[in-house]
Order: sequence, then C-alpha cells, then structure tokens
Amino acid sequence: MGLRGVGFLLQCYLVLATGMYFDLGEQEEKCIIEEIPEDTLVTGHFLLEPWDLKALTHSAHLGVTATVKDPNHEVQMSKRYGKFGKFTFTAHASGQHYLCFQTNSTRFSVFAGERLKLHLDVQMGEHSTDHHAVKTKDNMETLENSLTHLIDQMMYIARQQEYQREKEEVFRQISENTNGKVLWWAVVQTSILLSVGFWQMKRLKDFFVAKKLV
Amino acid sequence: MHHQHRMMYVSAGLCLLACLILTVDLTLGLRPNKNIAFTFILPAGTTECFYQTTAREDSMEVDYQVIAGSGLDVGFVLISPSGYRLISDFRRSDGIHMVDPTEDGDYRLCFDNSFSKLSEKMVFFEVIINSQSSIGGAQDEWVDMTMMESTGYKLEDIRAKIDTVYQHLERTRQIQTLLRTFEARDRYLLEDNLWRVSFWSCVNLLVMLAVAVTQIYTLQRLFDNTKRVCT
Repeated sequence: MGLRGVGFLLQCYLVLATGMYFDLGEQEEKCIIEEIPEDTLVTGHFLLEPWDLKALTHSAHLGVTATVKDPNHEVQMSKRYGKFGKFTFTAHASGQHYLCFQTNSTRFSVFAGERLKLHLDVQMGEHSTDHHAVKTKDNMETLENSLTHLIDQMMYIARQQEYQREKEEVFRQISENTNGKVLWWAVVQTSILLSVGFWQMKRLKDFFVAKKLV
Repeated sequence: MHHQHRMMYVSAGLCLLACLILTVDLTLGLRPNKNIAFTFILPAGTTECFYQTTAREDSMEVDYQVIAGSGLDVGFVLISPSGYRLISDFRRSDGIHMVDPTEDGDYRLCFDNSFSKLSEKMVFFEVIINSQSSIGGAQDEWVDMTMMESTGYKLEDIRAKIDTVYQHLERTRQIQTLLRTFEARDRYLLEDNLWRVSFWSCVNLLVMLAVAVTQIYTLQRLFDNTKRVCT
C-alpha cells in the first residue's frame, strides 16, 4: 500500500507537471471560475514550484491557501496546503464557483518579487483519475474499469445537459422579463408624454388668459 | 556537504522511479487526449499568461471566448517554447487556433486587456492536446486473449469499440463546454440589457418631466420679463 500510494502520488505529480501552470506572485491571489451544477463532486490537484527551479537555494516553505466561494460569494471551503495537494468539495448550489489560490510562503519576503508556478488540474464529476493506476492482469476487471469510466463520463455529460436546460429556462425568463419591461416602459412613457402635453397646453392657456393676451 | 550529496542521490533515485512509472503508464494506455478549460476574470489594463507543457509531435488546439465585459474583446498571443510569436489576435471576442506539430516545451498563452482602462473581462479558454505518443501503446493491456474467443467476439473488438465510444464522449464534452460558454455569454449580455433598459427608461422619464416643467416656467418668466420691460 505504501509503494502504491507513493506511486500514485508520483503519477499525479508527473501528470500535473506536464499540465497547465500560471504564475503566482507573492501574496497574490488568482481565481478560477467554474460553472458547477449542484451536488457535483469537484477534485482539484495543484503543485506549487518556484519559477526558476535552479535558483532554489534555500528550503523555502511553500504553501498554498485554497479558497472556494459559492455563487453567493460566501466562502465554502478555505484550507491551507503544502506545495502539493489535492482538494475536493461538493457544490451545494448550482452556479459559478470561485476557486482562489494564494501563496502563504513564509520565506519569500527575503526574495521580494520572486514568482511561483502553480500547476493546476480541476476535474468535475466522480470519475477518478487514478483508474489508470489500477492495472490488473484480469481482462474482466480491465473491461469493467473501462466501462465504469465510460458510464461516469456519460453521467457527467447528462448532468451537464440537465444543468444547461435549467440555465436556459432562467435565460428565457430574463428574456421575457426584459421584453415585458420594454413594452411597459414604452406605454408609460407615451402616456406621460401625452398627459404632460395636455398639462402644458392647459397651463399656458390659463396663463395667457390671465395675462389678458388672448 | 555529505547531507547535500545524499539529498541529490535520493532525488535522483526518485526521478528515476518517476520516469519508470511514467514510461510504464504511457505504454499501458494513458488516454491520449488532455483537455484543460479555465474561466477567469482579467482585470482592466492587465495581461495574464498561462503556460502549457507539450511534447514533440503533439497537436494542440486552443480556443477562447470572452464571456463578459463591455466590448467583449481581448487580445490573444501564443508564444512557442523557442520564443516565436505564433498567433497574435488583436481585440477579438473569440478564436480557435490549432498548433500542429508542437515543439517540446512550454507554450505561453497570453490574454491582453491593456487597451481597456475601466472594464474587466471574463475570459474562457480551452486547451485540447492530442498526444501522438501513446495512441499505439495500448496493446499490452489485454493479455491472455485466447480465453474469450469462444464467445464469438474478440476482445480486441470490444476494446476498439470502447475506445471509439470514449473518443466520441470526449468530443461531446468539449462541444458541450463550448455551448455552455456561448450560453453564459448571452445570459450576461441579456442581464446587462435588462438593467440598462430599466435604468435608461427611468432617466428618460425624469428628463421628460424636468423638460416639461422647465418649458412652462421659462415661458412664464419670459412674459413676466417683457411685462416688466414694457411697463
């Protein structure tokens, strides 16, 4: 178990190391926005490295604070990790979630302005990435694993489709709302214009009659 | 000194172990497609860069779209590991680019919002990497195939079908992501429109009333003045 665990961790490290990264300054917070339907499990792997690997002369204590904010901008999860970690959370509400990362490396004040690399991989749904790590000689098990992966994939697609339908309904309601408002404002403006016109004429007529000019 | 040497050996050993695991992994059928999608907010007047590592002879597809922000446009630059500027888009709202074949190293994708002083942009981008190195490598996974041949279906066929279905599902996911971003962009635009319609209608109403009242009082003042002048 120990060796497999180490193997899995190393694999994650390597998969991350060939993935996408972006630069993170000291005490800088960068956020990723993810549109997540409710009750979806989200897994994120990240790896923090100094920008210039050869320039690492001291054992800096690198750390990342990962914060997850839900669609109402409330903090759902906020945890500190070392330089390599994995975080998971389940979205309670449908909508845009903000995944923010901030370094809290302690020794960096000495090297002001040094940048860090943050490798990031975010996955949604319950299919585990480590199904490749389970290699067996048994064909049936391999077949089963492949089929399970396919099923997870299809469930993810179906869930996203359902979410898309919900959002489209919201979109349609906003659209109808806008349409209704445009019509209502047009009617109100026309009626106010007409009534103000009459009021002006009446006022002027009374004024001129009072001034004995008419 | 001794401690440093030992650390070096340990890290070299770990590296070797890591390389071994990666090689074994690739030959045992690591899926060839990698798909990374991010949505982020690009503040006004800034440039954000993302880096993607690729191997040789892969193909990489980058597509991006601006979802929110006035003007709905952003500049995009793609720089290869050797420093050449491959793609340079100036103020476009969406774009799809393909790089084939890719070099070994880190490609740099930069989004530029420096032309806008006030409005921040929400940008969605997706990087799809089709890796050539492991397509033919999944042969060793299925050992002892003779066992299943009696059923009439070769295991090889089943595996090929599963691979095909998997590729199609990946493509479905990618297209779904694209459609999702279109919908998000349209929804933000519509919400903006709703707010703008309400606001400007209110302003219109107030201006109308103010102008009507001003007209009447100005006319009355005019006649008052002439009356005073005349007499």
